[in-house]
Amino acid sequence: MALASNAPVDVLIIGAGASGAAVAYSLADTRMRIVCMEQGDWTRPSEYPSNYPDWEQQQGGEHSIDPNVRGRPADYPINNDASPISVVNYNGVGGGTILYAAHFPRLHPSDFRVKSLDGVADDWPVSYELLEPFFAANDRMMGVSGLAGDPTYPAKQPPLPPLPLGRTGETVARGFNKLGWHWWPSDSAIISRPYEGRDQCKNLGPCTSGCAQGAKSSTDITYWPAALRAGVELWTNCRVREITVSDDGMASGVYYYDADGNEQFQGAEVVVMACNGVGTPRILLNSTSSQFPDGLANRSGLVGRNLMFHPIGFVQGLFEERLDSHMGPQGCNFLSNEFYETDLSRGFVRGYMMQVTRGGGGPFATAMQGAATGAIPWGPGHHDAFQARFDHTASIGILCEDLPEQHNTVTLDPELVDSDGIAAPKINYTLSDNSRRMIDHGVARATEVMEAAGAIEITGGGPARLAGWHLLGTARMGNDPATSVVNGWGRSHDVKNLFIVDGSIFVTSGGVNPTSTIQALALYIADTMKKNLANLFD
Amino acid sequence: MNDNMNDNVIVSDHPLDPARLRLLASLADTIVPASADGRMPTAGDMDLVGHIQQFSPEFLTELPQILDCFDTDFPEQDLDDRCERVKVFSEAEPALFRRLLSRVYACYYQDDQVRTAIGAGVGAPFPRGNEVAPGDLSLLDPVMNNPITWRR
Ligand SMILES: Cc1cc2nc3c(=O)[nH]c(=O)nc-3n(C[C@H](O)[C@H](O)[C@H](O)COP(=O)(O)OP(=O)(O)OC[C@H]3O[C@@H](n4cnc5c(N)ncnc54)[C@H](O)[C@@H]3O)c2cc1C
Repeated sequence: MALASNAPVDVLIIGAGASGAAVAYSLADTRMRIVCMEQGDWTRPSEYPSNYPDWEQQQGGEHSIDPNVRGRPADYPINNDASPISVVNYNGVGGGTILYAAHFPRLHPSDFRVKSLDGVADDWPVSYELLEPFFAANDRMMGVSGLAGDPTYPAKQPPLPPLPLGRTGETVARGFNKLGWHWWPSDSAIISRPYEGRDQCKNLGPCTSGCAQGAKSSTDITYWPAALRAGVELWTNCRVREITVSDDGMASGVYYYDADGNEQFQGAEVVVMACNGVGTPRILLNSTSSQFPDGLANRSGLVGRNLMFHPIGFVQGLFEERLDSHMGPQGCNFLSNEFYETDLSRGFVRGYMMQVTRGGGGPFATAMQGAATGAIPWGPGHHDAFQARFDHTASIGILCEDLPEQHNTVTLDPELVDSDGIAAPKINYTLSDNSRRMIDHGVARATEVMEAAGAIEITGGGPARLAGWHLLGTARMGNDPATSVVNGWGRSHDVKNLFIVDGSIFVTSGGVNPTSTIQALALYIADTMKKNLANLFD
Repeated sequence: MNDNMNDNVIVSDHPLDPARLRLLASLADTIVPASADGRMPTAGDMDLVGHIQQFSPEFLTELPQILDCFDTDFPEQDLDDRCERVKVFSEAEPALFRRLLSRVYACYYQDDQVRTAIGAGVGAPFPRGNEVAPGDLSLLDPVMNNPITWRR
C-alpha cells in the first residue's frame, strides 16, 4: 500500500470488486492519480479450500459465502432478520468475483425497456446497443467462454469456446429438446483454454470458494494486475466510513480506517463508489452533513430503496445414470430463456432464466445432505443409497426478475456495527406476489423438464434463503433527479463529482446474473467520464 | 470390522485409552459398515481420532461425552443391536449425533480407497482436476433452427 497523504488524489475509488476494478483499469488511461481503497486484502489462491483434502468442510466457516458466518476482519455484519433472502458477498480485492459462480450472461435488450414494453417499473437511460461494445471489451478483459449463435440474444462472440456440457448437461439438454424449449451453453467467466497467461479450467468443482487454478475470472487476476501496471494505486485494508462534502456541495474526500484501525482522511477531486448494492447505500447513508442530512446524494430519498435480489427457485433431479455432478464448473452449464420474456397468461409480468447447474456436492456434502433429508441413512443401507445419489443429480436454478419496490431497503442498523464501529446495513425485503408466482411457475416448469430428461426423483422449492448474491437498485440511474440517484452515466444528480458504478445503479434487475452488465456499465461510465474530462462537473 | 484396527497407534500419545478407542471404532463401523460385496471398507478401520486431531481438534473435547453414552460392551454387540443403540442416542442427542456423523463421514470420504471406489478422485481437487466430457453440441441443432426470439 502506498503511504496516505492528505493531498487530494484525482480519483478515489471505493471498493476493489467487479466494478471498482473495471473502472480503475479504464480510467488509468487518463494518467490521473487514481487510488482505490478496499476494506479487505488480497486473497491467496493457495488458501482456497480446493487445495486441501478437507475442502468440503472448509467451505463453511471462514470460507463461507455468508459474511455473518465468515466474520473476517474485512467483513461487516448484515442484519437480514427482516428478509427471506440473506445477503452473501466477499470483501477483499476482487469483491464478489472471488466467490462467484461466474455465470456471465448479459442483460437482454428488453431488460432496458421494461416500462415501454411491459408497462412496469422504469426504462433505463441506457440501452443494450449502447453498452454492447463495453460488454465485448469486458468479455475480453475478464476472459469469457461461450458459444456464439444464441437466438435469444443479438449476435455476440465470446472470446473462448464453451465450457464442457458433460454428462449432466447432455442429459438435461435432452429434456429441453423433448419439450422444444430454448437452451444454450452459458457464457461463463471461466476460461476454457489458456488465456492471457492463465491456465484453463480443470473442472475442480468448488468454484464458489475461490478458484485455486486461476481459471475463474475474478478481478484480482484480470483487471487488477493491468490496472496496477498502468499506475493505479490499490490501498488494501482501508475501510471508508463516510464521504465528506465541501461548502460548494462537492465531495471533498473520505474518512477511513487504515489497517491498524486508525482514522485517516484522504482528499479527492472525484469519488467513485463501487461497494455493491448494499455497501454503497450504507456509506452514502452514513455520510450525513448539514447539506445532506439524509445521506449523501440522497435528495431524492431513494438511496437504499428499491433493493432487488433475484429470488431463486430451485429444482433437483435424481437420475439413474451416473452424471458428473460433483465436478466443475458447478454453476456454469447451460441456461434457458424459454420463459424470459413477458407472457401475462402465465400469471406474472416479466420472467426468469433457468440456470442448469451440475447440482451436486462432493461426497461429504452428498452424505450429509442425504442424512438431513433422510435419503441416505447411516448404517447398513448407507452405501447403496449413497451410490444412487452421489454424482447422479442435476439442478436448475430459476433466477427471477425482481421488480423495484421502494419498501425493499438497505438502511443503517441502529445497533449493529462493524469492527470499526460503522453502522451495519439492515435489510428490509418482502417477496412480491409477482415474484412468488414466478418462482412457482419456474419450479413447475423445471420439474417438467427434469421429468422429460428422465429424472426418477425431483425435489424443489424457493426462494432459497442464502441466495442474496445479486445486490441491485439501491442508487438507481435515471434522467429525473426526483426519481433517481445518478444520471445516465453514473454521476450523482446532487453531487457532481460523485459517481456510482456498482450494482446499485440498476434500474431493474433483469432475470440474469448481473456481473457482466455491472462491469459493462462501469466501463461505459469510465469511458463517458474520459470523454467529458474537461467539463466533468458541468 | 477388523479386530486389529488401529494396532499401529502409539497408545500413550493417544487422547483415548484402548477400550474407548475400540468403542469409537465400533461406533464408526456401525455408522458406515463395510459393504456386503467388500468393495467399500468400514469406517471402523479408519484413523478417526487422527483425522479429528488434524482437521477438527475442537471435536476431541466432545468425544468423551459421546462415548459415555455407550456401554463398554457395545463393540461386542451384533450390528443390529449396535444400530438400535445408536438410533436411541441419535434421538436423545440429535445435535451431538449430527456432529459425530459429520466427523465420521468427513474421515470416511477423505479416504483414498473410498474415493477411488466411488470415483471421486483422490486428494484435494487442486492440482489434480477432473475430466468432464465435452458433451454433444449437435444437441443444439433444434434450438439453432428456431427463429430469432429476442425481443427488440
Ligand atoms: C457466492 C456468490 C456467487 C455469485 N455468483 C455469481 C454468478 O454466477 N454470476 C454473476 O453475475 N454474479 C454472481 N455473484 C454476484 C457478483 O459477485 C456480484 O454481482 C459482483 O461482484 C458485484 O460487483 P460490485 O462491483 O457491485 O461489488 P463487489 O464485487 O461486491 O465489490 C465491492 C467491494 O467493495 C468493498 N467495500 C465495501 N464497502 C467498503 C468500504 N466502506 N470501504 C472500502 N471498501 C469497501 C468490498 O470489500 C468489496 O470488495 C455471486 C456472488 C456470490 C457471493
